[in-house]
Amino acid sequence: MRNTYLRLMQLVTGILIAVLLGIHIVIMHLDAILGFFEVDVTEPTSWESMIGRASQAIWVGLYIALLAVVLYHALNGLRGIILELTPSARTERIVTWVIIAFGIIAFIGSSYVPLALLIS
Amino acid sequence: MKQMQPRQNYMGPGGWVWAGKYKLERYLYLLHRITGLGILLFLILHLCMTTIFRIQGQDVWEATMALLHNPWFKIGEYLVCAALIYHALNGLRLILQELGFALGRPTPPVYPYKDALRKKRPWTIAMIAVIAILALVFFYDFIVGGW
Repeated sequence: MRNTYLRLMQLVTGILIAVLLGIHIVIMHLDAILGFFEVDVTEPTSWESMIGRASQAIWVGLYIALLAVVLYHALNGLRGIILELTPSARTERIVTWVIIAFGIIAFIGSSYVPLALLIS
Repeated sequence: MKQMQPRQNYMGPGGWVWAGKYKLERYLYLLHRITGLGILLFLILHLCMTTIFRIQGQDVWEATMALLHNPWFKIGEYLVCAALIYHALNGLRLILQELGFALGRPTPPVYPYKDALRKKRPWTIAMIAVIAILALVFFYDFIVGGW
């Protein structure tokens, strides 16, 4: 039963990522096309633009939510691929815990920086 | 060609690449897996880049961005975008079909009937068309938007 719910969460996070990552890559990459629709995106990778977004709580919240769902989706997908090799139960437990530990470290490490920039 | 032996159909990772004469969707699945692993690799690099270099202040950030505006990195970025478009749309197609949406009413298997793959095929074609259009839109923006 446990893996069934993990799989269902994979579908739910997939849909969430389609929305959140859609926003992210359209703003980061489609500046010429957004300009055509008169949405002004001036060089989203510049320091000023980045700090402008990093100082707004809504962007920080959006990015941390995106980080959480992306890490779940990516690491659960990687776990599924590894477990398709049908390892022993012991190896399966090791893989699961290594992936959980990696996910927690990546989440804390990557959400610390935007939160620190937001507070400072 | 690799022959399947009876009672011995576990092919390991080799079966991910080639498992017999399968239709288009089987190879879309392989591409889904490859793009997923590629995006995971990019995600790790991206998280390192946006944390380690960002916390060191403006100068380090701008030096990194100058490096990443190199044409080779831009080509890599475009490939990541294309992989994301593919993975997203193929994933949405898989979700729709796994949950049984938009497949029409079930019909009794009376000859000549349409098998499940044929019922799903129009969605696959539509998905590939949308992916091609979006990939071209991104290509346009990567060229017109400059390197």
